[in-house]
Amino acid sequence: MRYAYYPGCSLSGSSRECEEAIQAVMGVLGVKWTELEDWNCCGAASATGVSYLLSLALPARNLALAEQADSDLVTGCTRCYLNLIRAMHYIQHNANIRDNVNAVLAEAGVQYAGTARLRHVLDVIINDVGLDVVAERVTQPLNGLRVAAYYGCCQGMWTYAQFDSVEDPTCFDRLLAALGAEVVYYPLKTSCCGGSLSMSKRSVGANLIGDLLAAAVAAGADCIITACPLCMFNLNSFQNEAGKIKGTRFHIPVLFLAQLMGLAFGLPPKKLGLHRNVVPPDPLYRKIAAGAAASSVEAVASGPK
Amino acid sequence: MVGQVLTPRKEPVKILKDPLGNSFEFCYQCGLCTASCRTAYAMKYTPRQIMNLLQLGRVDEAAASGSGLLCTACYSCTFRCPRGVAVTDVMSAVQRLNLARKHADGDVRRFYRSFMRTVERHGRFHEVEFLARYFIPNPLLLTAEVGLGLKLLSKGKISLSPPTMKNRKAMAAMFRKAAEIEGRP
Repeated sequence: MRYAYYPGCSLSGSSRECEEAIQAVMGVLGVKWTELEDWNCCGAASATGVSYLLSLALPARNLALAEQADSDLVTGCTRCYLNLIRAMHYIQHNANIRDNVNAVLAEAGVQYAGTARLRHVLDVIINDVGLDVVAERVTQPLNGLRVAAYYGCCQGMWTYAQFDSVEDPTCFDRLLAALGAEVVYYPLKTSCCGGSLSMSKRSVGANLIGDLLAAAVAAGADCIITACPLCMFNLNSFQNEAGKIKGTRFHIPVLFLAQLMGLAFGLPPKKLGLHRNVVPPDPLYRKIAAGAAASSVEAVASGPK
Repeated sequence: MVGQVLTPRKEPVKILKDPLGNSFEFCYQCGLCTASCRTAYAMKYTPRQIMNLLQLGRVDEAAASGSGLLCTACYSCTFRCPRGVAVTDVMSAVQRLNLARKHADGDVRRFYRSFMRTVERHGRFHEVEFLARYFIPNPLLLTAEVGLGLKLLSKGKISLSPPTMKNRKAMAAMFRKAAEIEGRP
């Protein structure tokens, strides 16, 4: 399997802690990839506000480049994934869109044939690497850590990709169980965080973020886990604003899924970019260490079998 | 065929030239889109009401309401719609009309424009250039964000050097071609 890795703008910029964690974890899992040569922005959530055609042609150029490289296009960003899969889907089902997109792509000297294969990092970890391999790499089980698994509004992603349920995805839960963590009941797990509304319409964005944080606190979670850099940015950066709206103070660590995987693999926090998290995750280190100590005491108490 | 149970419109409402833009004609007003929408509470017209306005040909009201700007493009409505309406794409068409007709205030319009201009120039997003384009015309916005900005800067999350895409000429050409095909100024 050849992978062309598409980091996207967030992961190579303001969400670089997510990128550091992904690279570190994939290193441990032995996944090798090369970065997609000369990739461009997928248009994020803003392209649709300006141009319908560009919102499809921008991701399509990356798909065309992956076709040229004859590799599976892998991305770790949920928004990029959604834009890429949306472009693939619409181009495939509408000849008019395909012709217009290719007319735009011709200006960049490429054409999209429709044979690209798109993968999410999670898809690669769960289906190519396998959860048994993930469990084998765990050196620091997350026993006793209560985690709110926040999937985000990646409904599009789950539907099209066909590797999980749309309304009730469970792949995080299975992955977190392999790490030894306890997944709490989190009813808002697929509710949208507001995306870029946190910047363009703060009062609404912070309210949605507040709902998500409050539900995680109510569920007794030690931390929230997300696999989307924008959710990561929102839930970390606007806890004060969300607290003001909800009449409380939030201070709950929000980690990228790969960061928590890295901790379970025994990687140093700095290698996972955890020092960059806006809400410091330090309380989790103590909790994880305490959990490990408790389970070793149990092992001694139960004695040799 | 689902289309046959509907009364075909003699003069289809062209909310834009999007091939999927007219799928609102299939809407039977069940409201599952609005029930799925996290931001409907803040909209003047909910997604269901927007679909209805468009069916009635009242495009101007739909665009002026600003509801499209509150869509986060989470696609929940689109995936749940029992009639196969591309609700998210319709909302984004309404959003484009709102921005193009300058209903939204200057700050909001500049937010989108700054993002796309930055991508057009660099091929990739560049935080510093975006923030400069967005904040300099209205420094009042900046005062609200200074605390967060400094925090992100101190955590090494804002890169000062521009991204390094090689084929930036191709990006500019793609932007020009798309504007030409869509008939945008």
